[in-house]
Amino acid sequence: MISCTRAALGTCSTTSFLCFILPGSQVKFLETVILRLLLVLFLCLGTALGQKPDKTIDLGQFPAETVDNVVIPVPSEIFTVLDKLGNPNWRGELGPEENYPASPNRAQVALLLGTVIADGFVAVEAEDSERVKKIGRNVLTLAEAINVRKSVVARSNSIIEKADAREWNAVRRELDGALQDVSQAMLELNDAQLAQLVSLGGWLRGTEVLTSIVKDTYSRDRAELLYQPMLVDYFNRQLDQMSPRLRRQQLVGEIRKSLGRIGPLVKKSRPSEISEETVTEINALATQMVELIRAKAG
Amino acid sequence: MNRPASRFGWPAALLALLLAAPTGRAFVDDALSFAYEAANPYAERGWIIREDAWGGDLGQGDKKAVTAQLFRGNSYMFFLATDIDGAALRVNIYDAEGNLAESKSWQRGRFAYAEIKPRSTGTYYAIVEVISSPKERTGWALVYGFQRK
Repeated sequence: MISCTRAALGTCSTTSFLCFILPGSQVKFLETVILRLLLVLFLCLGTALGQKPDKTIDLGQFPAETVDNVVIPVPSEIFTVLDKLGNPNWRGELGPEENYPASPNRAQVALLLGTVIADGFVAVEAEDSERVKKIGRNVLTLAEAINVRKSVVARSNSIIEKADAREWNAVRRELDGALQDVSQAMLELNDAQLAQLVSLGGWLRGTEVLTSIVKDTYSRDRAELLYQPMLVDYFNRQLDQMSPRLRRQQLVGEIRKSLGRIGPLVKKSRPSEISEETVTEINALATQMVELIRAKAG
Repeated sequence: MNRPASRFGWPAALLALLLAAPTGRAFVDDALSFAYEAANPYAERGWIIREDAWGGDLGQGDKKAVTAQLFRGNSYMFFLATDIDGAALRVNIYDAEGNLAESKSWQRGRFAYAEIKPRSTGTYYAIVEVISSPKERTGWALVYGFQRK
């Protein structure tokens, strides 16, 4: 009865009718629940209305120190898109079937490791389990040469095991993971610059394959995948900031020069207007760089 | 079915954050746990959640831009989280011209989410913002995932 009176006279008249159909204690409980729900609804509405994002922002308001976080795409992101663009001749894109010996040149090994991991993705697309397994072993050899073997043993074994089972999506995930594990292990060893070279090697080999596929059956949709101006700038900046010891290396110097030529090619077009000629030019530069990385390994 | 990345990716992501964010490490760790926890159901629905993450700490009203190369043909999701009770954050995606480009976004308690199906391949910015917080600095962590559209 007390509850009924409170409901009838209380803060929220919507609950007052309940006293006619429910005992007092239940009305009190329901009243509390309804009041709380209304409060939550009010807060949610307030949040939604008051915090609508701006439709446009001035990116100039973000000084350099606020945009230091750059998300480098993992190869899977590109291959998932490529999957939808027909059936390229992946076997024709497979790299040379080699066992790369460990080299004392850590920069070269890091670049090569990146290209080998990217080769793994091509082998997955070609559904060539023997090649994937070989690449898994190569990853291990090269990782050992730069002291990060321990971080990729599990990945390498998993790549081999899943390639045997022909679980291609799982192999892709393990290859993405291998790239990230190697980079993390290098960061742990205070070798961030080598980690960047691994990423760069992967990106160069990926770009070589991508441009080759796009120019084989050119379409604007396919060519648009090459519109990566931020990444080209990012890698250029990383190379510029490397230690003089690394920059003095002939291989790093050559790559820096060629990358400097890719940037303007990518930026001169709008995303959907990268021409066949531009694709061919980028392909020639990427192929030359990848060959250089492999040649130094021989 | 995609494996929830957090099962294997937390140590790597945590290490990346520890190395990348010299300040506010403790709360970034927890923020990362919350971000992965929120993203996990999406992994079970076919999203591939990246094993690395981005994070730091911000004051109330501060914003941070995370630059990303996104590809037309994929969908992307960004999960932002904090470990601070009572803090509210948001994440929104803008294209290279500064136009809001996301297809969906929401903010609930310590979590915020934005999803985008890029209309064109190129550079995008995930703008992270602390709307309100009981603390002077608020740790945040951002994870992202993708899937075929």
